[in-house]
Amino acid sequence: MWLPIAFLLVGIILGLLTDIRVPDAYTDYLTIAVLAAFDTLLGGIRAQLEKKFDDIVFLTGFFSNVALAALLAFLGVQLGIDLYLAAVFAFGVRLFQNIAIIRRHLISNLRTSNKLKKNTEK
Amino acid sequence: MNAVSKRSKWLMSIIFAIIGFMVAIQFQTASSEPELRDTRDQWEVRQELQEQQKLQQELLEQITSADRILEEYDEVSDEEKLETLKGSIEQLEQQAGLTTVEGSGITIKLAPIFQEWEEDAPAYPTVSTSLLTHLINELNTFGAEGIAVGEERVVSLSPIRNVNGDTYVNNRPMQPLPVEIKVLTSNPKKMLDYVNASRSRDMFALDDISMDVQTEKNLKLPGYDDNLQLGILEHDSSKETGEN
Repeated sequence: MWLPIAFLLVGIILGLLTDIRVPDAYTDYLTIAVLAAFDTLLGGIRAQLEKKFDDIVFLTGFFSNVALAALLAFLGVQLGIDLYLAAVFAFGVRLFQNIAIIRRHLISNLRTSNKLKKNTEK
Repeated sequence: MNAVSKRSKWLMSIIFAIIGFMVAIQFQTASSEPELRDTRDQWEVRQELQEQQKLQQELLEQITSADRILEEYDEVSDEEKLETLKGSIEQLEQQAGLTTVEGSGITIKLAPIFQEWEEDAPAYPTVSTSLLTHLINELNTFGAEGIAVGEERVVSLSPIRNVNGDTYVNNRPMQPLPVEIKVLTSNPKKMLDYVNASRSRDMFALDDISMDVQTEKNLKLPGYDDNLQLGILEHDSSKETGEN
């Protein structure tokens, strides 16, 4: 569990150190890609808690979500519609749903562990 | 956690790294505005400094002269105050072009070029308003201190209009060619070179008008003798300006 977090930190530090800035025209794409990444991340954690985690699904989910979100944003720019807002909305809703489910799982896990403790004490 | 195989653990880690990288870049892009960098080199900075110093010098000179006038108002009797006031008015009138002025300058003689072999050329060339306006604008950029077209003094409010095909200056028809344009300037030689090098000559030639430019030691410009209609002017209090 610590390895991914360490890598996350490494990624953040790398990103901050490289001093890369995305041109204004492409900020929408990056925003949406980051959102998609967050969505996939939380989805992965949720799947882990539900014991349904599949690394292939996770991997493909991450890349296809990011790519599709960027595509949607690109389409929106071409058509003159702010389609990226749709992606922001969808990902936002899913983020909250995932967070809620993760919270429930964590609470129920806590409760069962407490019960187990009590049972063993008895 | 034990269910997670080693391979997927590494995969996850790499994806986490990518996410971290993306987040960091997004953060940087969102939080930092590109700073305005000063890319001038030493030479440009020095030039800028020199310009500013020149400006300061001019401003100081203006302040000094204004102070002197103020002092004159303050220290002397009413009669002399009147004199100073009159002097100020005279100076302002001179600046506005209401008085006759004399000095060195150049004359530009506009004369028709007759080209008989051209069949559809106009019988007698006339100076068009756009051409005249262009010439006067150009002379002003070259630093003319006063301009007169024929006997009409051109001030900043002088209209140049096309009335039924005729060119009117100061609401009076311009005399037919040849016309002499008098330009007052402190450096006639330079003005002569400017005018000779400008494109106006070609433009006049296209209209079958020749330009003959000469320097003049003693040039007399008539004053502008119509009323200055200043009713349309409005005081712009947002832009506080001094004299000149």
